[in-house]
Amino acid sequence: MGAVRIRSCFLQLIAQVQEVSLDGLETYVPLLSMSQNLAKLAQRIDFNQSSDSDEDGPERESREPWGKPEPEEDEGTVKFQPSLWPWDSVRNNLRSALTEMCVLHDVLSVLKDKKYMALDPVSQDPALTKTPQVFQLISKKKSLATAAQLLLKGAEKLTKSLAENQEQRRQRDFNSELLRLRSQWKLRKVGHKILGDLSYRSAGSLFPHHGTFEVIKNTDIDLDKKVPDDYCPLNVQIPSDLEGSAYIKVSIQKQSADIGDLGTVSLFRRQPKAKPGSQMWHLKLEAAQNVLLCKEIFAQLSREAVQIKSQIPHIVVKNQIISQPFPGLQLSISLCHSTGEKKSQRASPDKSKPDDHLYVLEHNLHQLIREVHTMPHPASSPFGHKRLRLAGPMAYDKAEISSLQQSEGLLEKIIKQAKHIFLRSRTARTIDSLASRIEDPQIQAHWSNINSVYESSVKVLITSQGYEQICKSIQLQLNIGVEQIRVVHRDGRVITLSHQEQELQDFLLSQMSQHQVHAVQQLAKVMGWHVLSFSNHVGLGPIESIGNASAITVASPSGEHAISVRNGPESGCKVLVQFPRNQAKELPKSDAVQDARWTHLRGPYREVHCGRMEGRNFVYKMELLMAALSPCP
Amino acid sequence: MGVTCVCQVPVAEGKSVQQTVDMLHKKLEQLGAIKQGNFWVDCETYHATGNATGQPSKLLYVMHNSETPLSSMALFEGGPGLTADANFDVLMVKLKSHFQNAKGHKVESRGTRYRYCDFLVKIGTVAMSSSARGISVEVEYCACVIPGDCWNLMKEFMQSFLGSSTPELPAVFTNKAEGLYTPVDCMDTMSQYLELFGKVRKQQVLPGSGVR
Repeated sequence: MGAVRIRSCFLQLIAQVQEVSLDGLETYVPLLSMSQNLAKLAQRIDFNQSSDSDEDGPERESREPWGKPEPEEDEGTVKFQPSLWPWDSVRNNLRSALTEMCVLHDVLSVLKDKKYMALDPVSQDPALTKTPQVFQLISKKKSLATAAQLLLKGAEKLTKSLAENQEQRRQRDFNSELLRLRSQWKLRKVGHKILGDLSYRSAGSLFPHHGTFEVIKNTDIDLDKKVPDDYCPLNVQIPSDLEGSAYIKVSIQKQSADIGDLGTVSLFRRQPKAKPGSQMWHLKLEAAQNVLLCKEIFAQLSREAVQIKSQIPHIVVKNQIISQPFPGLQLSISLCHSTGEKKSQRASPDKSKPDDHLYVLEHNLHQLIREVHTMPHPASSPFGHKRLRLAGPMAYDKAEISSLQQSEGLLEKIIKQAKHIFLRSRTARTIDSLASRIEDPQIQAHWSNINSVYESSVKVLITSQGYEQICKSIQLQLNIGVEQIRVVHRDGRVITLSHQEQELQDFLLSQMSQHQVHAVQQLAKVMGWHVLSFSNHVGLGPIESIGNASAITVASPSGEHAISVRNGPESGCKVLVQFPRNQAKELPKSDAVQDARWTHLRGPYREVHCGRMEGRNFVYKMELLMAALSPCP
Repeated sequence: MGVTCVCQVPVAEGKSVQQTVDMLHKKLEQLGAIKQGNFWVDCETYHATGNATGQPSKLLYVMHNSETPLSSMALFEGGPGLTADANFDVLMVKLKSHFQNAKGHKVESRGTRYRYCDFLVKIGTVAMSSSARGISVEVEYCACVIPGDCWNLMKEFMQSFLGSSTPELPAVFTNKAEGLYTPVDCMDTMSQYLELFGKVRKQQVLPGSGVR
């Protein structure tokens, strides 16, 4: 038995030799079975030892070579009671643990009732855990003070800037005013000066005026005194020849009695109403630009007046252009430029002119002068009308190209327009005077609403009152041009009249006399009378100085009576009635005509005094006459 | 802009080009036509370069007409045509690398312009490098744009002064896809002139028609 026992935890797998007999036979210690091994290991569990025993563990192992007898002793004590169940110690330990647990459980359940037992915390020393409250207060105060300081600083800055803005607005800083000026007018900086341009050169005008104005700072302000309401830190200085105000006065006056006077008109005179926020410089600049525009228009007109040739040459005196569109009519255009502030001269009695007419004329003049301006155009497109660009690809021929190109000047256009307006008003006056003077055939004039600047038209109807549906053969369409009036008759004739008033009047009078005879013709159809002869221009009888006389002869349905009417513009109307022979007062007897039936033929004539007949107009009288001469069946 | 008919009048026997032209002028004046200035039509030829060898290069013709002074017309023979601004010639100079100008092939027709009511008659001498090659007569009826409607009237009018040289209805109108009753274009006039110039080029040089 000198086997060394190695204390280890693993299972012994190789059998230990118990004794070796003399004959060499080894007697093995019987191997422990699995359950025996487990029981052995379970006995080694010590429930009483805490974790400190782990530290004792390696000490024990180090003491092991010297402490051999101890484990033997332990095993010996264990082996001393081999009759005990190997799990007994384990059971005992568990039982004691269970007891402890039950006690704890009971205590807790008693505590839960709170009747017999209570838990109270043990008071702790406060000085060990918290900082003193005074310190907390001080630190909080400090941090709040820093935050407040920051906020105050920011607020101060804001109020300062707001105060500054208000101060600026009140004082109207020069730069902000300059910005406003720049938004409406062209400015540029030359050296130290700021110059601006108020001419129309950027729109293509070729007028040689420079049109520059200078912007100056207004420094004569006393900051101590109160700032006046209309104070402006900026002032403009306009060229001396554009100071004041100008306008163009156009007048058409007659020089002979029969031509009407169209009066006088002032264009570009009224200053546009100043908007409430606009500055003095704005008004000044606008007035100067107006003066420039008037000057340019007048310069263009006077240049053309000298250049173009017309039948009656135009006269250009210092600031006035005089021309005669029609003989006896004088058109004068003058430029009135007044410098200075004499307000008393402004009160002129021009308020009688209607406002819209002025604006139309001003707009017309604006358009005309804009056509003279050559718009800036890219280098690749040539001068001239925009539509000329299409001339190449659309293969325009010479007629179309020349119609696109303008060859007329401003003055010519103005004179043409003036002529047309004058002719139109005179035509209207002629027609109206005739209509009011003559009652028997009535004249109606229907003017067309749509005109052009050079052409208007009117439709003239000559009717008899009460017989409009029957007698409507005279309808004239008058196209009033620049110098002539073209009349288109209903029957297709086209007649051209000159601008003379008398021609139109004579023509209308002759048409009126023709109307009477036409009316008798239509009336005869209605009444059942037969037209025997009708002529628009008879060659018999007294010669008329205006036009020709017309005549008609109608016979009654029975053939017994006949009415002959001859009407001339000057000689008036003559009505003759033809009776059958047996109604004549003196019956010329003759040997050749013996039969009684020949007495029923028509014979002698008797004149009718139209003036003494009843009837509102001539056609009515004719109707009565016809009715009287056809006996009732 | 009206229906145009371009035809060639052969030079009279034993007479020069100028004399034939004078004869025509006299006939027109007897009719009652009024002289209204001059006219000219010219045609330049361009070769298209840079195409595959073996194929004949297409010829581009650029023509001008004094009736449409601001336009240039470019057309291929029997092919599409283009009406453009006068700057087209400058464009052709820029396209020198693609289109070569055949300078010796410029043909032009110059002459007088007569007006007889609604008819415009232009009698011109066709010249190529200042040698007269033939006579061109253009009759335009300004009142109508449909060839089918007015061809008979035009033919009758032409017979009155051209006599036996009156042409038939030009092929340009009959070749149109839509027929005779479509409106004319300035291209039709130019195609007729091109045809005439082509014929003149192919003709031999007339005897006795040196520098005019």
